[in-house]
Amino acid sequence: MPQPIRPVAARRMLDLALAFGSGGILTLMILCNGTVAGVTNGHFASLAAHGTGTVAALAFLALLPRRRSGAGPGRAPLWAYLGGLAGAVTVIVGSIAMNSALALSGMLALGLAGQTAFSLAVDRFGWFGMPRRSPDLRDAATVVLILAGCLVIIFGGTGG
Amino acid sequence: MVFYALAAGMLVAVSRGVNGRLALATSPLVASFWNHLVGLLVLIAVGLAGAGLWPERVSAVPVWAWAGGSLGVVFVASGSWLVARIGAVLTAMLVIAGQMISGVLLDILRDAPGSGWARAAGVVLILAGMVVAQSRK
Repeated sequence: MPQPIRPVAARRMLDLALAFGSGGILTLMILCNGTVAGVTNGHFASLAAHGTGTVAALAFLALLPRRRSGAGPGRAPLWAYLGGLAGAVTVIVGSIAMNSALALSGMLALGLAGQTAFSLAVDRFGWFGMPRRSPDLRDAATVVLILAGCLVIIFGGTGG
Repeated sequence: MVFYALAAGMLVAVSRGVNGRLALATSPLVASFWNHLVGLLVLIAVGLAGAGLWPERVSAVPVWAWAGGSLGVVFVASGSWLVARIGAVLTAMLVIAGQMISGVLLDILRDAPGSGWARAAGVVLILAGMVVAQSRK
């Protein structure tokens, strides 16, 4: 790779900034897809997002210069191609939960809990071929502070 | 119902892990492409099985709302790239932080009801978490 070697801290900051920015993209995405769902229905909103997304991904692949891969551990196993299955099931599971007696705030909080717990296991046990990481005190403090902030916004922000 | 809400959160982490594995062997954008194609095929199958493919009011969808799919491509590619680099937990936390803070901004812009103090306190906690994440070991 002809890239200059950046200090680890600067690289980490860029990665964190990218993750943070992608959260902003997620908000806009949900606004768009939620609007489509409001006019039509949840299934069509997801169908439309995946259809236009497939076309957009092909366009990006055609327009952007190909990055050489090869650093990865050989061919991907077949299951690695099935990420979209989880996405499609999420829509169905999410709409079941959404139409339940559970309030939206409770659902959001449980969703965060599920995502965090599962992510901890992915890191701890190296699931999906990811590098194993043991969470340290800094990671624990990050999780506690960010989740606490979310809960304050989710539960404190409603009905006020 | 508690189970379904928990499961929806877990599935977000599952798809990030699965797409991240594909990105390791290919590239984040290729992983995002397969994610969308496979999801599309599943949703078409569900539509053919009964949900229907083309509701009546499609023409009433505002033009800007069709951008959701393209935004999703960028979102999935970025998550697949990051999960192997900074880990599943940190990726999830920073994505959630970005989602929450941009959501608060959007709510303020749209004049949605809500407590200003709760929003401010929540944003401060989230920012503190991000400072800790970036701090030296």
